[in-house]
Amino acid sequence: MLFFSFFKTLTNQTVTIELKNDIRIRGILKSVDQYLNIKLDDVEVLDLDKYPHLSSVKNMFIRGSVVRYVMLPRSEVDVGLLEDATRREAANQAGKAR
Amino acid sequence: MSFFGFNTTLPRDQDTGPAGSRGFFENPDPFAEVARASALEDDDAIDFEDTYDGLGDQLNDDQDEFNDDTFGGGDTAPAVGRDFDFFGRTAQVADAIGEEHVRYTLQNPQAAPPAPLHAHVAAHPVAESTKRTGYEKYSDPGYIPDLQAKSSVWGLSQKKPEPSPAPMPAMPMPSRKMMMSLEEVEAQMRNRGQAFGPIPTQSIPQQMPDPSYMRHPQDFPTLPDGFPANIPRNSSEHSLRRVDCPRICRTLLQAFRSCMEARVLCLHLVQNNIPQNLPPQGPRHAGPPPAQRQQQMPPPPSRGPNGGLPVITNPQQLVHLTEEQRNAYLMEDAKRAKRNHKIFLLSRGNGLMTPQDKNFITRIQLQQLVAAAGNVADADPEAVLAEDFYYQVYSQIRGAPRQHPHQPLGHFAQTYLLQTGNRIGGHGNRRAFQGADNHMQRMQQQVQRAVEAAKAKPKNKQLIIEGSLGKISFSNAKAPKPMLNLKRPDSSEGARPKKVQSDLSTSDRKSLLGNIEAVYNALMSMEDMERTMPPPPEEGDTEAIQEHMEWRQQVQTLNQKLWQALKVMEPIVPNATTPHPFIAFLSYPKGKKAIPRIFRHIDQEQRVTILTMIVVHLDSLDVVRLAQHSGPGEAQLSVAVREAIDLFSLAVMPSLLGYVNEAPFNIIIGLLGLVIAQTQVIHVARTKTGLGILTMLLSRAEIVKEAGQASERDWQQWVEKFNVLFDMLEPGLAHIFPGSINSGDDMYVWQFLAAVGIGASPEQQQRLVIAVKDRVMETVGYSKTLPADMSSQRLGNVNLFMRAIGLDVELLG
Repeated sequence: MLFFSFFKTLTNQTVTIELKNDIRIRGILKSVDQYLNIKLDDVEVLDLDKYPHLSSVKNMFIRGSVVRYVMLPRSEVDVGLLEDATRREAANQAGKAR
Repeated sequence: MSFFGFNTTLPRDQDTGPAGSRGFFENPDPFAEVARASALEDDDAIDFEDTYDGLGDQLNDDQDEFNDDTFGGGDTAPAVGRDFDFFGRTAQVADAIGEEHVRYTLQNPQAAPPAPLHAHVAAHPVAESTKRTGYEKYSDPGYIPDLQAKSSVWGLSQKKPEPSPAPMPAMPMPSRKMMMSLEEVEAQMRNRGQAFGPIPTQSIPQQMPDPSYMRHPQDFPTLPDGFPANIPRNSSEHSLRRVDCPRICRTLLQAFRSCMEARVLCLHLVQNNIPQNLPPQGPRHAGPPPAQRQQQMPPPPSRGPNGGLPVITNPQQLVHLTEEQRNAYLMEDAKRAKRNHKIFLLSRGNGLMTPQDKNFITRIQLQQLVAAAGNVADADPEAVLAEDFYYQVYSQIRGAPRQHPHQPLGHFAQTYLLQTGNRIGGHGNRRAFQGADNHMQRMQQQVQRAVEAAKAKPKNKQLIIEGSLGKISFSNAKAPKPMLNLKRPDSSEGARPKKVQSDLSTSDRKSLLGNIEAVYNALMSMEDMERTMPPPPEEGDTEAIQEHMEWRQQVQTLNQKLWQALKVMEPIVPNATTPHPFIAFLSYPKGKKAIPRIFRHIDQEQRVTILTMIVVHLDSLDVVRLAQHSGPGEAQLSVAVREAIDLFSLAVMPSLLGYVNEAPFNIIIGLLGLVIAQTQVIHVARTKTGLGILTMLLSRAEIVKEAGQASERDWQQWVEKFNVLFDMLEPGLAHIFPGSINSGDDMYVWQFLAAVGIGASPEQQQRLVIAVKDRVMETVGYSKTLPADMSSQRLGNVNLFMRAIGLDVELLG
């Protein structure tokens, strides 16, 4: 749930998503779900020359499993908090495994 | 017998067909009224023909013949058993039921001979009253009494026009008349008609309502006893059967119509001539045949197996009722009719879904609720924090939560339910409101139960059904079914060797990072404890006090844990190759960042201990050790070191400063002594961090002095230390400035010099000025080349120091 929790805080921020087929898409993150499926709005494909078929796509739903990277706006990430959240997540996982 | 029954039902359907509405009463009734009125005035004959004539004749003939053949004719009636007469028996029972019903409602079983007349007269007002109520359907029932009264009269007077009902043995009345043959009946009728002139005239008006009755027979059955009418409507099969029957019946009726027309015409003539006479004739007619009337009553029921029976019985009794009672009865009937209609309206969709379908839907809905409820279960803040920590805290910190900050998804189910309840409540329909409210409550309870069940479920991860060989293991999204079941080594066995290792090498990177994590874990649990702090107990509330005590106890335990994890108290090993664990802890950014949080959770003694540790190891701190700059013009420090220094001054220094600002003077003196004794002041003074700490101590001492809080002895001590420090510093004062003059970042140096200058004696101040004069002049000269704002900033920095010693940059002009 950590990533879900994390990405939820990035809604309405501009992110760049690189898919596993190398397409990079920049857009406003509208929502994310527990599978890390992503809804993007105001989409802009970075290498539009290579993917002309995407030139008219304005928003999209991306299946979480095809995402390779999500590039974040650094200012929107609270690193210290994220560290703590990670520690908690690790503790939770450890607790569950036991 | 059943055959008759079908006939009667059929006309009903025919009528309903044209009406075109499935609503029981509404549509047919108004029309029925109109039709009846019109029939009374003008065209009674047509109605009468359509309904009665043909049917009566043919049916009677056939039936009678059959009856004779099979049962030995009317003469042998006693010999024939009535076993075959299923319909009749049913009808009897139905009659009895209907009668009982009326009796119960009306409580007036008495039969008064003149009553029929009254009923006849009163019928119209009743109908009107019913109309006023607004239930036109009900008007028909209102007429029922009329019809019946008339029909009874009619039956007496006219056996001929309705031979069909008369011969039917099925009729409830078991009395002798049952087996009368058609001929006998007709003869009787004729005789009577001849004997009494007026009788036929009376019979005629009665007929008029009858046709209307035939036309809208559906009104009757539905109104009095809802059962028969409703049931068939719901099922399509019934309606189909009904449709077929009417057709047959119609053909029969048409065939008879021609035969009967002549007779009907005669009747109509008579009727038209003497409609007004009816009321006066009533008593006459009613007088003679009370017994006969009763006997004749049965025939009409034979027409309609469903609704006919109760209708007849009711009117019969209604006739004898007083106005009020009848009204009451009618009102009740109207109510029932209204209710039936409502039920009908509501039941339009009935039967579309099978019970299985409904169960299926219900299950899906409940599943969804439980799925949502699964989150509801997590809705308690602890669980939410555990699962969704980053989002929750981030939302709190950054504000402007995008959705519902404290409302995890699962809350939506409950919210939705509550909202729905409120919405319905707002409607204000009292009964609907109550019902809806109860419904919502029940739903909520159900959901809660479902939630609890869902919560309880994961506890049994396996279900072993008795007698089965296998196990069924449950899984859900959060706890998927484990594909591998690996047993973790027991934590006690696994952890101990590691601990031993870490004890052996407390300063290697991995164990240091492990220590830091331990500190953070302790910190987080302390922060959790802080959140769960019970409210401060009031006087005398022993339970709250007890709770508070326990909480304090726990906090204390955690504090000890944290303290040990910090390893501040590890013995200081002089000349050790590895730094002290705590200093090593501070050398990691994570460790530096932890300091402010640690300081919140430790007491003053622990804080001073930490401060002491830092001061003692000042020159082995990474931000001091690695940050040495040997003077102006030296290469810039590496990025990592600069970042570390910035972080230290951002994270650690404020905490230390916060403590020092409240520290007693003797501790300041002690710390300064430690700096002098334990560190190489020259080196320390060449670093931003070191200068910062020195500045901190010096300025605190100055503040204490200004406030007059320092005792004379303490102050003497302080001056001694200060003098030592000054002496140690003086040679390096020219080198404490970082970088070249144009690097700009020398404010902290001027601050330090100012702190020194304030506390210095005049003689020391002179030495100070001499030592830094060059830098002052350079800076002043350099600032003239800078833009105004930067220039003033640089000069302001210098002025900090200059003013501390009673000078000003302006003087240097």
